[in-house]
Amino acid sequence: MSAEEKISLAERRRQKKVDCDKLCPEWGCTQPYEYEGVWVVGEVEEHGITEPSLQMLTPARRIADKLETFVEGILLGSNKELLEKAAREMIYHGADRVRILASDELATYIPGVYGEAIARLAEARKPEIIFLAATMKGREIAPYVAGLLRAGITADCTQFEVDEETGDLLMIRPPFAAILLAYIKTPFRRPQIATARPNIFSLPPRDETREGEIVWENPGDYKLSKPPISLVKVEILKKSEVPIEKAEYIVSGGRGIGTKEGFKTLEELAEILGGVVAGSRKAVDLGLIPHERQVGQTGKSVRPKLYIAVGISGAAQHVIGIREAGLVVAINKDPEAPIFKNADYGIVADWREALPLLIEELRKLKEKHGKAG
Amino acid sequence: MALRVIVGIKWVPNTQAVRFDPKTGTLIREGVPSIVNPHDLDAVELALQLKERYGAKVTAISMAPPSAVKGLEHVIGMGVDDAILISDRVFAGSDTLATSYVIAQTLKRIGDFNLALFGQETIDSSTAHIPAQVAGWLELPYIYYVDRIEDLDLEQNVVTVRRILEDRLEWYKLKMPAILGVAMKSQKPRPVSIYNKLRVRMENPIKVWSNKELGLDPRCLGLKGSPTLVTKVTWTPEVPRKKQVIEGPPGEAVKKLVEKLCGEGVLPFEC
Ligand SMILES: Cc1cc2nc3c(=O)[nH]c(=O)nc-3n(C[C@H](O)[C@H](O)[C@H](O)COP(=O)(O)OP(=O)(O)OC[C@H]3O[C@@H](n4cnc5c(N)ncnc54)[C@H](O)[C@@H]3O)c2cc1C
Ligand SMILES: Nc1ncnc2c1ncn2[C@@H]1O[C@H](COP(=O)(O)O)[C@@H](O)[C@H]1O
Repeated sequence: MSAEEKISLAERRRQKKVDCDKLCPEWGCTQPYEYEGVWVVGEVEEHGITEPSLQMLTPARRIADKLETFVEGILLGSNKELLEKAAREMIYHGADRVRILASDELATYIPGVYGEAIARLAEARKPEIIFLAATMKGREIAPYVAGLLRAGITADCTQFEVDEETGDLLMIRPPFAAILLAYIKTPFRRPQIATARPNIFSLPPRDETREGEIVWENPGDYKLSKPPISLVKVEILKKSEVPIEKAEYIVSGGRGIGTKEGFKTLEELAEILGGVVAGSRKAVDLGLIPHERQVGQTGKSVRPKLYIAVGISGAAQHVIGIREAGLVVAINKDPEAPIFKNADYGIVADWREALPLLIEELRKLKEKHGKAG
Repeated sequence: MALRVIVGIKWVPNTQAVRFDPKTGTLIREGVPSIVNPHDLDAVELALQLKERYGAKVTAISMAPPSAVKGLEHVIGMGVDDAILISDRVFAGSDTLATSYVIAQTLKRIGDFNLALFGQETIDSSTAHIPAQVAGWLELPYIYYVDRIEDLDLEQNVVTVRRILEDRLEWYKLKMPAILGVAMKSQKPRPVSIYNKLRVRMENPIKVWSNKELGLDPRCLGLKGSPTLVTKVTWTPEVPRKKQVIEGPPGEAVKKLVEKLCGEGVLPFEC
């Protein structure tokens, strides 16, 4: 794109005008040109900022560069030390500035309180775009923010682009069936709000020499109402297994495995590889694995080095979850199964026959050279 | 005062039955039956438990075309007391913000409810937007992923719920009226009973509200009231993969596969 075109895109963006009489009066009328910048709302836990929110800096940086604007991180909480550390991480990963709202009201996460804080900040600072990671908490607060701001929101995007004509954000998501992609935009309303599931975008490179500004917002400027809800108790569930979104090796089973007993064989293979077991939605529906281990559109996106799909047909809604996987291996008895078109290596066989052989081969290798890795 | 519980249900095409025509690149929805969004049945079940425990009156609401009466009959068959079908041509084309606006205004008109329960997400769009957006319009306390009502105190008008996240359980106390998103697969929805089904015929417990009843500004409804706009639909690009199917009997094929994996250097140990 030439420099001239870029300037004109920025210009066109500023010329956009909304006819207030045509808008829903409940929305309140603001003009798109009042808004500037791309926000990423950071989720901070006991250990610091979460990886999914840092991942959102990847599309934020790209879109901001296209629009020739800035990226701002937004952080909420009460522990200033933790927040400052999280802010620096956001800067190292691509944010130009981080705004922190620290106050006692934000000491515990309550969706209504956090959502309201983000909405109030957005009303005051007017970002053009707000990105949130679609973690369980992100999915909970993003639509509340949109509801308060009467803004458009698009969930679970897999891609973002800029409309070259208007400068609108194009939010791209699979509607209904993952074979299709819908391009969604919000032409006359700001901010434009969107979420993406964890692992859809990779972590931007971390650069400790990157500099950026940290702005401590004055909590007194944002009178947060005290919604009548409180957290009364927490119980941490002990999880022995690595969550699938963090695993480097995944052995995944589908309806073709059939029984819990069958999944034991998958576990055996996973163990040799130092990996975990996951599955398709059919496997979840059959009660063979819990939903948190489901790969795909309504499950999780994973990015292992190696993904071994066993007894999985390879429906589009499943395959969308392994776009970022390094190498994909498929074992299926049906040579026509679509999984073979979405795999690097495939074996047409009954898993009951092939899997024990694979386990044996790999075990032999591991015993021979195991100490090296 | 009796406990009043509202359950929001969506009438969705049975996505399991939708087929895809690779020649024309379109979804074949013809003849695909619609069903009550399965995740909403968890919310209905939880509401019916409140009916048993606290004598709640349970009202189902659905914003949908007239055919959704079938879905409302289904949940009445499960034990829901009555239902409102929110149906009007001016609602057509609504995105989640416009939908949540109509649902929020419906709740306002109902007025005296204590809890509004929703499913976690729908199988046709799976945005999980509606419950929180409704809470946003009404500025009511809300929480997602609820799997249990621990305690309900009508005198104080507070409810204590348990919700389930990936690595923890959390208990929240909310002042009512409040909005709850019910965790998917958290309940065992009860079957329809013939007795309850008969009530549908005898008592006619389903009301239809159009925008005549709600009186909402058309600028807030349908396409006009929807800030988001679908501009086009394309194919999902395929991820380039090697697509090599290794031939031969399993024993040989597995050996070859291991060689390939070694060659790729992806195994966690040396070859
Ligand atoms: C809106 C929507 C969202 C969805 N989201 C997801 C999602 O997030 N994740 C997901 O996975 N699915 C999702 N689905 C479902 C998806 O369309 C498929 O139905 C599902 O992925 C199929 O699971 P499967 O491959 O295990 O089962 P099937 O399609 O039944 O395939 C089973 C396979 O096992 C093979 N097999 C059987 N026996 C053996 C054997 N002995 N040895 C070797 N192979 C054998 C068969 O040849 C077959 O290919 C979604 C669907 C919709 C409509
Ligand atoms: N048209 C509708 N009418 C009533 N309830 C709805 C409607 N759409 C969504 N809901 C409720 O909101 C929940 C979340 O839906 P969604 O935000 O579309 O994923 C659903 O499980 C329903 O309980």
